[in-house]
Amino acid sequence: MEATPPAMSFSLLGSAAPILAPRVGKLALPGRKATATPHHVPLTSRGTVPHIAHDVIRDHTAINSLYVGLEDFIEKKSPAVYKTPAAAHESPLKKFTCVAEDMPLILGPRRFPAIPCPPANTSNSIALLTSVGFRQLPSSEYIEAVRKLRPDIIVGMADLANKEPGNKRRAKMVDRTHAWTTEALDKMYGDSVPEEAKPKASFFAPILPLDNAQQSLYLEDLESEFRWDISGLALYHSASLEFVPESLSGLPRLLFSEPETPHTVLREISLGADLLTTPFVGESSDAGIVLEFTFPAPAPKESSTKPRPLGVDMWSPEHATDTSPLTEGCQCYSCKNYHRAYVHHLLMAKEMTAWALIQMHNFHVMDLFFAGIRESIQRGTYEDDVYVFNRAYSSSMPKSTGQGPRLRGYQLPANGSNQPLRMPKAYGQLDHAKQKYTESQIATPDTDASGLEEHGFAKKV
Amino acid sequence: MSFRLQTTKARASTLKLPHGDVPLPIFMPVATQASLKGLTYDQLRETGCMLCLNNTYHLGLKPGQAVLDAVGGAHKLQSWDRNLLTDSGGFQMVSLLELATVTEEGVRFLSPHDGSPMLLTPEHSISLQNSIGSDIIMQLDDVIATTSPDHARIKEAMDRSVRWLDRCIEEHKYPERQNLFCIIQGGLDLELRKQCCEQMVARDTPGIAIGGLSGGEAKEEFCKVVDTCTGLLPENKPRYVMGVGYPEDIVVAVALGADMFDCVWPTRTARFGDAIVSSGTLKISHKVYADDFRPVEEGCTCVCCRSTDQGGLGLTRAYMHHITAKETVGAHLLTIHNVHYMLNMMKNIRQAILDDQYPAFLRKFFSDIYGGDKTKFPEWAVGALKGVGVDLLADS
Repeated sequence: MEATPPAMSFSLLGSAAPILAPRVGKLALPGRKATATPHHVPLTSRGTVPHIAHDVIRDHTAINSLYVGLEDFIEKKSPAVYKTPAAAHESPLKKFTCVAEDMPLILGPRRFPAIPCPPANTSNSIALLTSVGFRQLPSSEYIEAVRKLRPDIIVGMADLANKEPGNKRRAKMVDRTHAWTTEALDKMYGDSVPEEAKPKASFFAPILPLDNAQQSLYLEDLESEFRWDISGLALYHSASLEFVPESLSGLPRLLFSEPETPHTVLREISLGADLLTTPFVGESSDAGIVLEFTFPAPAPKESSTKPRPLGVDMWSPEHATDTSPLTEGCQCYSCKNYHRAYVHHLLMAKEMTAWALIQMHNFHVMDLFFAGIRESIQRGTYEDDVYVFNRAYSSSMPKSTGQGPRLRGYQLPANGSNQPLRMPKAYGQLDHAKQKYTESQIATPDTDASGLEEHGFAKKV
Repeated sequence: MSFRLQTTKARASTLKLPHGDVPLPIFMPVATQASLKGLTYDQLRETGCMLCLNNTYHLGLKPGQAVLDAVGGAHKLQSWDRNLLTDSGGFQMVSLLELATVTEEGVRFLSPHDGSPMLLTPEHSISLQNSIGSDIIMQLDDVIATTSPDHARIKEAMDRSVRWLDRCIEEHKYPERQNLFCIIQGGLDLELRKQCCEQMVARDTPGIAIGGLSGGEAKEEFCKVVDTCTGLLPENKPRYVMGVGYPEDIVVAVALGADMFDCVWPTRTARFGDAIVSSGTLKISHKVYADDFRPVEEGCTCVCCRSTDQGGLGLTRAYMHHITAKETVGAHLLTIHNVHYMLNMMKNIRQAILDDQYPAFLRKFFSDIYGGDKTKFPEWAVGALKGVGVDLLADS
């Protein structure tokens, strides 16, 4: 197969061991903002970063890449996203979602984290969940979709199992993924494709969350036949970082994992991950938790030997009159303009602005966290800094005491009928007055008469 | 305050308030619980808003007076450096609470939480609004539905509102920085309204509200009440028609001499996926917009509709359709558009008044909504405008 020079460039700074070592690099796509790695990749839902509107992203965040799942766009028979008018050099997907043209956009078949689908994948398709239900996405359709949508980075389709796969399934996973990667590369960059029809997008080949031996044939092909058509690797488990063949070590590694804490992120980076998903950021924001960690960890307080918390629960009543910023000295939009008492009030009132402000802050914390990581790796003190960080901070996220925002069906797992209710029932009693309060969407006081009196709202008679 | 008198009774003026000048006529978006439905205050500023509403009832419950006092008022709470107006809380009492009864002392109601009897007095309302620190505060009034058939009760409510105004004035601690507005009551009875105007005007509050409307009364009646009241009110004070309304109601009420309006409709309808445009509203969730790649409204200068070349986001109807009612961001973006639409409409109204072109503005406004078909123009609007010298049906 003839070599197609990748439009993307990835350069590693310094000389790291080829695998299983932290590394600093720069991912540059022509005409796009460059991304210093390691970096986190913000996750989207239907093309939006949850809670923060497009103008807020543009004006008040440093978000410089987005991950989008195709399943968020294809619930209709004739999806609008394919009909978006766009010039030859523009991405219809970016146009459709109103994302700036210079924002690096990564497209995969499914949103991340994806909700497990009960229907099984087949030899030429994967099951996915659109906003109207489950369907199959054939490999050919996915290839056609990415050709039309022109993202900057394409994540190849992989056969991933919902639960720990058995031996037979493992073999199938490898065979299918191998076949789909072959098909995709051939249809996009193959000899039969005229030069001008080849997509500019960079292809990230999936590496399965399996042992080295099980996917050795596939890995060999990645190293030889596919080598010059792939621009990066997409991994689904940090353990897979071990299996990256040495000859592919110069490629950027995008790790789709669900670290529960920044400690896990640090471990994944120490294994050589370059781009990482961090769903805990959005989960923390939903839970009303303001992240509050820095890397390297600040010097320990002399008086206390207790580990620092990773975040602060803004539902807690202790913030009710606290006009200090979410985090002292933080330079994010939320901290510079608003204070704890306000965010606490908004959460109590279930106002959407609460989650917008917390989300902005939490992304800012992650930006600084990753910047600290890159500096630490370059200084050569990464291992020591991680050790100190792990001791300085609590090993788990603080518990939230409040309720998250309302979630939609396609954001919730669909397995089984006996799941506990996420929110208490809003209706049920045939109580006319109660129903009226609910319908009016007016906050009913969660305090009794003496509470009202204390609030100065009215007095008991 | 400065005014320029024009044809019709429409007025353009500038309202000077502690947190900046407000050009009148104005529409005030409603930030019920100290935030405008998902927006940051920079996003609200961007729409051009100079004055928005908070609800006393809601802030009294959350975060409560003690917190408001500790934080230093609602401006500090929500980091809003422009003007705020708060209502008295009385409207929510009556509209939301079952079994609320009004006595001379105040509004008696049952605590929604535990059912114990409570009393909201004019003194409570003003004390709370003093803690909130809003630039314009409203008296507690005796609100009843204008459609009430009980004439004696309407008269009682009117008289009581006057007495409560005196108690509010008495209780008000910061008349130098918070402007207390009285509220004209009297139902749909023009004679009662006249009496009420007379008595309220005698109390010389900095501004005057016309209350008890937007309660489902016929539009003709609504216009008559506004027209009657504005005819009796002093020229040099702002007139605020509470809870109004739809664009059509506002343009007519402006012609009848009203200056200030508020309504939750533009922001609420945005959350339901409706965009306000010059031809009416677009139900963005309807499938006809799924493949429509035009902006929500062509030529609109809000950040959503402006193209990226012009520093906007270049949002399309197709994308709004894709996220509306599915992502909260969809609600934020449509809220921005709708608030911008209302404020921009008020700006255009003001300019038309200043240019002495308001009748032409009105004809174009109704023509846009009804696709140029004059037979569809609502009779109430045609009639009300005829009364102030504008023939909507004339060729412009």
